[in-house]
Amino acid sequence: MAGSTAFLAAKGLSKGFFGNPVLKDVSISLVPGRVHALLGENGAGKSTLINLLSGSLAPDGGEILMDGQPLSRLNPAGARNAGIAVVQQELSLAPDLSIAENIGLGAYPRRLGFVDYPELARRTAEVRDLVGLDEPLATPVGTLALGRRQMVEIAKALFRKPRVLILDEPTSSLSAHEAGILSALVLRLKQEGVAVLYISHRLNEVMALCDYVTVLKDGVCTADQPLAGVDAEGLVRLMVGRDAGDLFPKWEPNAAGDLLVDVQGFSSGMARDVSFTARRGEVVGIGGLVGQGQEDFVLGLYGALAAQAASATICGQKAPFSSVGAATRAGLAYVPADRKHEGLILPHSIASNLILPSLGRLNRAGMRDRSAERNLVSDLARRLTIKGDTARPVQALSGGNQQKVALAKWLPLAPSVLLLNDPTRGVDIDTKREIYLMLRSFAAEGKTVVLISSDTPELVHLCDRVTVFREGRAVATIARGHITEEAIVGAAMGVEVREQAA
Amino acid sequence: MPAPASSSASGSVMRNLLRNGPFLTLLLVAIVWIGASFFSRGFGTYGHLRYILELASIIGIVAAGQTLVVIGGGIDLSVGAVITVTAITLPMLSPAWDPTGIFGIVAVLALASLIGLINGIGAAFLKVPPIIMTLAMATLLQGFLVIVAGGSAVSVENAAVIWLGSARPGGIPADILLWVAVMVGVLLLLHRTATGARFFAIGANSIAARLSGVNVERTTLLLFTLSGFFAGLAGLLVLGMNRQGYVGIGDPYLLTSIAAVVLGGTSILGGAGTYAGTIPGSVLLVTITALITVVNASPGWRNIMFGGLILILLLLSGREKQR
Repeated sequence: MAGSTAFLAAKGLSKGFFGNPVLKDVSISLVPGRVHALLGENGAGKSTLINLLSGSLAPDGGEILMDGQPLSRLNPAGARNAGIAVVQQELSLAPDLSIAENIGLGAYPRRLGFVDYPELARRTAEVRDLVGLDEPLATPVGTLALGRRQMVEIAKALFRKPRVLILDEPTSSLSAHEAGILSALVLRLKQEGVAVLYISHRLNEVMALCDYVTVLKDGVCTADQPLAGVDAEGLVRLMVGRDAGDLFPKWEPNAAGDLLVDVQGFSSGMARDVSFTARRGEVVGIGGLVGQGQEDFVLGLYGALAAQAASATICGQKAPFSSVGAATRAGLAYVPADRKHEGLILPHSIASNLILPSLGRLNRAGMRDRSAERNLVSDLARRLTIKGDTARPVQALSGGNQQKVALAKWLPLAPSVLLLNDPTRGVDIDTKREIYLMLRSFAAEGKTVVLISSDTPELVHLCDRVTVFREGRAVATIARGHITEEAIVGAAMGVEVREQAA
Repeated sequence: MPAPASSSASGSVMRNLLRNGPFLTLLLVAIVWIGASFFSRGFGTYGHLRYILELASIIGIVAAGQTLVVIGGGIDLSVGAVITVTAITLPMLSPAWDPTGIFGIVAVLALASLIGLINGIGAAFLKVPPIIMTLAMATLLQGFLVIVAGGSAVSVENAAVIWLGSARPGGIPADILLWVAVMVGVLLLLHRTATGARFFAIGANSIAARLSGVNVERTTLLLFTLSGFFAGLAGLLVLGMNRQGYVGIGDPYLLTSIAAVVLGGTSILGGAGTYAGTIPGSVLLVTITALITVVNASPGWRNIMFGGLILILLLLSGREKQR
């Protein structure tokens, strides 16, 4: 593709952190009216490339061109002024400001030196309609569900009428409906001549929306070509550099064991009057649209959220538990969806994170047994193939490796019920497969897995049973043999699905 | 910045030392001591340096509790008031039937710990931000002290406290020995026990710590109770050295305890740090105070110099790295 027609182009970019090269000699051209997919596993260098293109990082080598002119010393403000807008994976909204204030942030219309609120409202209303938000503009963003906030984030990017729009995993927190709106929006921007860079782990989305693809693997560009004629399997092969094989492991249902989780009329937070059971040897899925009380229910089981129940027995003990400590002693473990804020202590070392749940169990004469801790850490790092020095802060790891740490730290406690909240969100394919294997082998050992997932194929391919939540209630339980994407999505959307024999 | 490949083992030891906050602070103290003894003949004498360490032991002990609370993500603004409470109530709590004075010490330390516990209850269960909770506690205590003491100084007859302030077993002042015991205890607690690791965990991310099974409330209670206890212990030393207590006697120790913590490289945001930095930080602060006393300046100027030097030192040294 000729560089002269590109709005934004990068030539031979390289970047390293602390001596580790993250990006090596990468070139990319963003052309008006083209939706350009950027693919790669976590840690492949996608985020670094975006940060370079948006001026958040300075390259060690190579150059960035805007309309064919080299941009030296690009900074975030300069990039914004040049028409480059980025929608980051991490939401960057001010929760106490209204929708309108967030959308216009940094570019408020002024009159006599004061913010011209009526004008702001008029201008933000346009972009709000584009992304299908129907909440009033004065609504504080903090009160919106995650998916709606993501739409505000996109509206904020559109507000400045960008020439280049970079979307970093825009759909990972969106409902199917919202994702549909976004797709239509992207196609419309394409018609208007905007250059779109689209990063996603969802290949079917990429296949449907994008025209061109750049694939990164370990910081090197492994493909830069039109998407036409490439199939999903081919893309996966380019990302992992080998045949991906089946994403999901093959498994046989285990003989049904004792009831480990048996709750009736269980309420916690948004979750209302839920009845739910899980046996030894089972992986029980919890599906539904994002934010329908799934998380509150599991937090209630885990003793992290106050709960009431008509009757509840978990691991043979009377529940609800009054504290997380009581739940973990009974044999529960929980891996949160928001690993950066809830699952891990980011600035602390990999080793401290791995030891945290086991603290107090590795004591000798009241003091921490350092050699036992070291053995534990190196054993866990080996079992989960976490590479490198475990004294590094856990935030230095890629998303997939961070998730492995968030999971691995529970293994020494040998939990009998593993509660997982969207464990593969933003995780690369290899790590996904490892996590899937771990779930099924966990169940095969006669333990129980409760899996909340926003990724429907996961529920279909991994679970013995799936309970679907809608508006805080468990509206359907789908038995093995009847679990299909249609059945789950139907129940989630409240569409009448014919009752299957359990 | 890419780190250069390590050239030799001794080179890397050197680099590690130069990156080690506690070591650098200690180095600074040594330089100031040597420099000051050239300019002022009395400064470098054994007696004077011993006196500096005695004063530093008080700050160091208050700052022990402060270090723990700050690592746990809080702050304790009531330590000055707790020192005053200790100094004023000790004579009242030392009964005549106990000539050793041990009962009085135990009673006063229990009172100081109780005040800390109440701070902890406010922070952990009532969810009052620690800065507000402990400031309110300090104000409450000051009002209470004015009512109890009525503004007059009380003098000490408690034998054990007088011993603490004046005895020199083996030639070393008892307060310095006590400080050494506190150092050993606090460093072991922080870095060698599960409880210490939990302090760091809740200070860095209390949500992740809770979801990992840490009892955040109980840990917070313990932190503030310890801070109250150490402030009470420091109050006993203050009293032992001064032989009298009055309202306001603990006030200077609030800012110095926080300054010693931050000078020592502990993150004021919580989750990172060590008491090993606070120790030289305390010595440095007292050294500065002594230097300012040597310079013949009016009290107003001394305060200005003290405040200014603390700011400069904070800018130069142990602050957490900006991300």
